Amino acid sequence: MNADEIDAQIRELAAERRLPQKHLDRWLAMDLPSRASMLDLARASRLRTGQLVTALDTLDEISVREHVTVAAILDRPEIRRIANSPGSLPSRASVLLEALRTLRYPLLKKMQTQLRSEVSALKLPRGISIDLPKDLGSDELTVSLRVRSGSELAHLIEALDQKRPGLTRIIEMLGGKK
Amino acid sequence: MKFDLDAVYVERGCEDSALATRVLRAISRDVPVAHVADAREVTRPASGVSDPFGAGKRRLVIARRKTPFLMPCPAGSSEFACCGYVVLTLASNCPMDCSYCFLQEYLADNPAFQVYANYTDCFDELDRLCANAGGRSFRVGTGELADSLAFDSITAVSRDLIDFFASRENLTLELKTKTDEIENLLDLDPRGRVLVSWTLSPDAVYRSSEHLTASPTARIAAARAVLDAGYRVAFHFDPLIAYPNAERDYLLLIDELLDIVPPKQISFISMGGLRMTPRLRGAARSRFPDDPMLCGEDVLAPDGRFRTFTPLRLNLYRALAERFKKAGSEFPAYLCMEPASVHEHVFGAVPARPATIGERLARA
Repeated sequence: MNADEIDAQIRELAAERRLPQKHLDRWLAMDLPSRASMLDLARASRLRTGQLVTALDTLDEISVREHVTVAAILDRPEIRRIANSPGSLPSRASVLLEALRTLRYPLLKKMQTQLRSEVSALKLPRGISIDLPKDLGSDELTVSLRVRSGSELAHLIEALDQKRPGLTRIIEMLGGKK
Repeated sequence: MKFDLDAVYVERGCEDSALATRVLRAISRDVPVAHVADAREVTRPASGVSDPFGAGKRRLVIARRKTPFLMPCPAGSSEFACCGYVVLTLASNCPMDCSYCFLQEYLADNPAFQVYANYTDCFDELDRLCANAGGRSFRVGTGELADSLAFDSITAVSRDLIDFFASRENLTLELKTKTDEIENLLDLDPRGRVLVSWTLSPDAVYRSSEHLTASPTARIAAARAVLDAGYRVAFHFDPLIAYPNAERDYLLLIDELLDIVPPKQISFISMGGLRMTPRLRGAARSRFPDDPMLCGEDVLAPDGRFRTFTPLRLNLYRALAERFKKAGSEFPAYLCMEPASVHEHVFGAVPARPATIGERLARA
């Protein structure tokens, strides 16, 4: 396919999906291999409008962050593996977007994994739940207790107290301590 | 530093002001000058241009300010541990063009670069502030809605300000800048009442995001020069941007600073992570689509702004704070637009209430 044919197909797909003009413009402004790769991806994964917008935004930001083309990002093994995987289309699209998000936010993803593993290592009893802040957007850790009796409450408070060093460490990690 | 102007507009009634006379004498003859009945005719975004905000920066409007010159810092909020900064608005917008600048949102509907011909009226407001303050001290700055010194070579406003503040016991003037435009300051005696502060960023941020500003090295050299001329100096590491290798670059920048300006001669430092409302982020990304500094690991924080995710941001604050501490600095430091808990994580203590921080900084 030549450039005109690719652009025509992008316009056709954008019209079908009612893609916002801003995103269509950004897509058409990519280099030719990137335009074509994005078209292949959108078709193969049957991205819905919101997913297509998210993919275009995320790919654009990765491309600016890493000084690479969108085609180069989509050619990475972890992305190709998902695009070619046999799973159902909706789940493939959502796995794909998550993989792009991991590329876009590498340190955040790593930190979330570390913190979740710290929380699991606490082995808290049932009835106590620990919620990390959404996207680690604040330093606030939410600790919830679910009880039905005074003795349950006493038990959970005692368990929490025993886990104080581990919880403090998690709070410190949220506060930027390595 | 020289900035390009497309046109100068003078509002009716300001033609004979000292400011208009100085500006019209100083600008190039190639710059067209027009007179308008009401400044609002020319301060709104221009239509039919691709970047109305950028175009506004090159349109200098000399007008009468009709609202008070003094206001509390617009960044202040009960969510944050604030520094008690009092803003003195003598100009609006800035000829420099930092990709992350909040004015892209704040002045989106009013982007012309305005300077106020009746600026000496602010002295009455300042005297009233002192008279009603019961002996409290205030740090008053002109660098919130404009750079304090960017056009000083043609407006010379700093000279009148310094003259006024030099004789006021309870007021400290902060001139905040990213320029090295200090010529007007060097032959005046501020009598300890004026501090000049610079926003400092590593070279990578300067090159990528801080268009038309002086280089970090030039800013530090200018700081040394005003220090030698009898001014106090302070530094703002704001916005702090957590790009790859940011920690290394910021620490090198601090080393460069402390080689030129000894810690004991710094009045205070501030830090503030890059924060952008969704609207500002959209405007900035649209004006500077290729700036990687705008594509950091920022997430939507509870205050509705995109910020670098918390542990990464706080880790960077701590690294800088520790480097200053290691250098033996005992000057005050504060965080801009951060809650008290973040201060505690970074400095090990919850800050005092805003008025107290402001007072401490004013006297530092």
